[in-house]
Amino acid sequence: MKFRVLLCLFPALLAAQSLQEFEKKVTEFTLPNGLHFLIIERHEAPVVSFHTYVNVGSVDDPGGRTGLAHMFEHMAFKGTPTIGTKNWPLEKKSMDAIEVVYDKIDAEKRKGFQADPKKIDAIEVELKAAIAKADSYVDENAYDRIVESNGGVGMNASTAEDSTNYFYSFPSNRIELWFLLESSRFLQPVFREFYKEREVVREERRMRVESSPQGRLVEALLATAFEAHPYRNMPGGWASDIDNFRRPEAEQFYKQYYTPGNITIGIAGDVNPAEARRMAEKYFGRLPRGPLPPYVRTIEPAQEGEKRVAVSSPSEPFLAVAYKRPDQYSKDDAVLDVLSDILSDGRTGLIYKEMVRDKKIALAAGSQATFPSGKYPSLFLFFVAPSTGHTIDENEKALYAIIERVKKEKVTAETIARVKTKLRASLIRKLDSNSGLASELCSYAVNYGDWKRLFTELEDYDHVTADDIVRVAKKYLIPTTRTIAYTYIPEGGAK
Amino acid sequence: VTRRIAIALMIAAGAFGQTRPAAAPSPVPSYKDLKYPPLKQVKIPEPAQFTLANGMRVFLLEDHELPLIQGLALIRTGNLFDPPDKRGLSEVMAEVLRTGGTKAKTGDQIDEQLENIAGSVESSMDESSASMSFSALKESSDQVLGTFKDLMTQPEFRQDKIDLLISQLHSSIERRNDDPQSIPDRELMSILYGRDNSYGWTIEHEHLNHIHREDLIQFYRRYYFPKNIMLAVYGDFSTAAMKDRLEKLFADWHVDQPAVPPFPPVTAKAASGIYLAEKPDVTQTFFAIGELGGTLRDKDYPALQVAADILGGGFTSRLVSEIRTKLGYAYQIYASWAANYDHPGTFRMGGSTKSASTTETLQAINVELEKVRTTEVTPLELNEAKESVLNSFVFFFDSPAKTLSRVMRYEYYGYPKDFLFTYQKAIEGVTREDVLRVAKEHFRPENLTFVAVGNPKGFGKPLASLGKVNPIDLTIPEAGAPSGKSDPATVARGHELLKRAQNALGGAEKLASVKDSTQVLEMAAQGGMKIKQSNRYLAPGYFRQDQELPFGKITAYTDGKMGWLSTPQGFMPMPAPVLKQAQGEVFRNLPHVMLADRDPSLEVTATGENAVEISSQDGERVTIEFDASTGLPASETYQQPGAAAKIEETFSDWRDVEGLKMPFKMTLLQNGKPAGELTVQGYKLNSGLKVEELSKRP
Repeated sequence: MKFRVLLCLFPALLAAQSLQEFEKKVTEFTLPNGLHFLIIERHEAPVVSFHTYVNVGSVDDPGGRTGLAHMFEHMAFKGTPTIGTKNWPLEKKSMDAIEVVYDKIDAEKRKGFQADPKKIDAIEVELKAAIAKADSYVDENAYDRIVESNGGVGMNASTAEDSTNYFYSFPSNRIELWFLLESSRFLQPVFREFYKEREVVREERRMRVESSPQGRLVEALLATAFEAHPYRNMPGGWASDIDNFRRPEAEQFYKQYYTPGNITIGIAGDVNPAEARRMAEKYFGRLPRGPLPPYVRTIEPAQEGEKRVAVSSPSEPFLAVAYKRPDQYSKDDAVLDVLSDILSDGRTGLIYKEMVRDKKIALAAGSQATFPSGKYPSLFLFFVAPSTGHTIDENEKALYAIIERVKKEKVTAETIARVKTKLRASLIRKLDSNSGLASELCSYAVNYGDWKRLFTELEDYDHVTADDIVRVAKKYLIPTTRTIAYTYIPEGGAK
Repeated sequence: VTRRIAIALMIAAGAFGQTRPAAAPSPVPSYKDLKYPPLKQVKIPEPAQFTLANGMRVFLLEDHELPLIQGLALIRTGNLFDPPDKRGLSEVMAEVLRTGGTKAKTGDQIDEQLENIAGSVESSMDESSASMSFSALKESSDQVLGTFKDLMTQPEFRQDKIDLLISQLHSSIERRNDDPQSIPDRELMSILYGRDNSYGWTIEHEHLNHIHREDLIQFYRRYYFPKNIMLAVYGDFSTAAMKDRLEKLFADWHVDQPAVPPFPPVTAKAASGIYLAEKPDVTQTFFAIGELGGTLRDKDYPALQVAADILGGGFTSRLVSEIRTKLGYAYQIYASWAANYDHPGTFRMGGSTKSASTTETLQAINVELEKVRTTEVTPLELNEAKESVLNSFVFFFDSPAKTLSRVMRYEYYGYPKDFLFTYQKAIEGVTREDVLRVAKEHFRPENLTFVAVGNPKGFGKPLASLGKVNPIDLTIPEAGAPSGKSDPATVARGHELLKRAQNALGGAEKLASVKDSTQVLEMAAQGGMKIKQSNRYLAPGYFRQDQELPFGKITAYTDGKMGWLSTPQGFMPMPAPVLKQAQGEVFRNLPHVMLADRDPSLEVTATGENAVEISSQDGERVTIEFDASTGLPASETYQQPGAAAKIEETFSDWRDVEGLKMPFKMTLLQNGKPAGELTVQGYKLNSGLKVEELSKRP
């Protein structure tokens, strides 16, 4: 067995070496207003990737305004008083005029059953005209145009439960342009074309959730598993909330959460840290320090029994089984990661081997240790696509049999060593892309207070034993905290 | 709390927020005034290139940033070489090459051994290339490379892994309509390239049932040999040492095969129009619009890139501006000139919109398309589109792996080394006139095919207001059930009819003695054209047809699995639809089809008082009507692949040929309309035909 011990030791050394080597490349600083920067030098090619990680996500959406964090993310591409307008004073005036008309609609709507639909229709016509007027001053997509024509690539953004991310890459001679553009959009974002973009956001929900059997299944799973905590809402929000967003609400959200202390920026590539710092001070120093944003107060109450939800869908079936688990700061976090890899990583995962390869009852089956996100107590998720001719029921039973086995029988030393080796190798493979590095370092810095955790979490993995796996499986993978969601073909609904 | 009060509260909170101390204003320039230093010179690494003793081409590139070694091999084959009745064969072969293990180790053993050292070896099949890749930590790279080589040179294709994959593919077919996003592109490709060839067809249950281990082995043997492989390796090694390692690693692999023929040409002529697949469970309509396009080599490719980019290439394009930003109709909307290395690609547009705005969105796309092909783009648009390409050019070189894979791909498809720089120069030179000209020439509304997938009940304006709507049936065909009802009685009756015909023709033994036959005839096609034709058959499946047409000679040859065509335009591998036709000819050759009851792989069932249907597991099917008084075959009815036509061939003028009765006149009906007459000048049986003779190129 000597050979195997050697095998697990050597990557541990490798990771320690990597961290020492890697630390030399990283420069970290915080501006007086609280904005945190991570600069990673990689001079292989004259390109740079930028990642802005904002510590706000759909968990921060106000009640009745689910999807607002995501809505703001879309507005962050609409420009500033100088970018995206043909005449800012007139545009601003006409944007404010829209709100006056919209207030009239809301005033009528709040009458509830006494509201007059004809009156609302009439004001809607007025609203359309007001919007058209404001739009006439817009220089469409000017912000994107500047980025693209200067050679920016991969520009996009994403809103998740716990974070909002903005990212793209430039040739390294355009670094200052990025500083100017990025600081301006968070200093003075203009929420132009808000009500058109609301429609776009609504289309995004139709595409990702409403028209996808898996999207609808996950939405139902989350809404069932969580009763109070905002993880119960998909980041995109609910349809009627989106349909009724108002611009002042989004502006208010921005003011509360987009304060410099809530933002971390990663810059990776052919960049000089001293110059980056100078430019950071010049451009991002303009952002006023703000009060600390509110925090999420709701704590999900303990689940006291299994829950099931069936989603009607004229498609081949899907099954999701989720167990409650603690947040990512729990001592069991690393054990749960290792457990998930043992169950489903690669072609050696237990679930794959048994359900997909040997019994052939599933086309695909896997697990995810942390779902939908990790800052708050979340779910350990199993996801199964049954093979043709095999049922949800059959797969559910097979899955439980594997889970029960993991609780009883210790996994072999070879299995556990394999997972640890793979976790180390996957870290090394993450280090070869500017955009990946910028994003990973931000994420670790915000979530754990130190980017080095990206490397040092391997120590936690190293300490995981076969006994830990049994203990954790017994503790968390229990029927009383389980939620099962599955699709079924509606009666008379042909596939 | 009503919404209004909530807003009032928020505004108050906002006012509170503004009491923060104002930041000291520091002047920043406008983005227009920024000056950019020149971009540093890009270091473009030069991969080492050499050929191993066994003929394998190798490309090496050192990259010492991380302790990793990775590789990619390209094998000259592709799913374009799938036989028509075994669609999916190459894909199954590639996957089981990895999962089926080697002679020495099962795939499961390899899975464990590789994952123990966090290494990987994968194998996959694309349209016009197959690939095998590996990734290893430097320290365990010997073991990973060894496994890579063993899988490449000695795959075992174990049956259990073939069965597993085939059952998974059956499941995937059942799931293929569940995600509406993937449907429009798939259906568009089928319409543009044709459903009867590998560019456009989809794999059905029936085809999977025809794939056997022996097919995988044959496919593998035909294409996986050193001279047909290019291997690129990059990572933390020294070039000299790696060269040495590879020489030694592959020293014992010396198999060889004839050069692989070119990929079949695209022969389809697309049927433009509007197509709708109904899907009741969606709130959006997903659509794809397109027509056949060109290759990367085309002179106009750079201008077309710019034109498509301005139309729908990014967040700043016209489609995004109009349909997403201004109308709010779509989250995703795009246009692209998708050119291929070696065969015509597509000009394509696509996106999705809520059901209610389906027709309006398609109309808005038409308007934008019309604009770009009738009016010059603005100087600003042209400039920004060009700047975008030129300024981001450096990203082609931002990792050694990208450079290496590009160098190998250019080599694979026969592109010049400096192709990328020629492209860069060409982009610089694109003018507004160029953009207008190529848009007019290549974005042709009259050629466009629209495919929409959605719920028409939710459409606002009906789709029919744009033109005739052709339905697409998404029903997934069940695995090949014969069309005739097969029960003991019909089978018995079918065999009876066949036996009677065998006797009428001269006896079963006499028919069975025919090993080869030659038929010389003249065909009078509808419209007066006369064609001289000679058909030669040699058991079990060889066939050669020589035709003399007014514009030249056409010769077709097949060995039953693949073949070639020789035409006045040149020599080429037999395209799939033609191969399918030839296989039909062989199958229906009288001495063969009349002995169907002797071949257990063929099904014979009576479909009427004097009719039988004969079908093979490979999907061949013919219905034969017998003359009630003589018992001789009176006519054959069959589908002509590639033409969506039903052919009815009537036999007459039966004469004696060396003890057998053979027809000397055949009349053809295509979909019920006269299509031609064939007059046979003579037959020769068992004249001792040789494969060499049949396969000899003219």
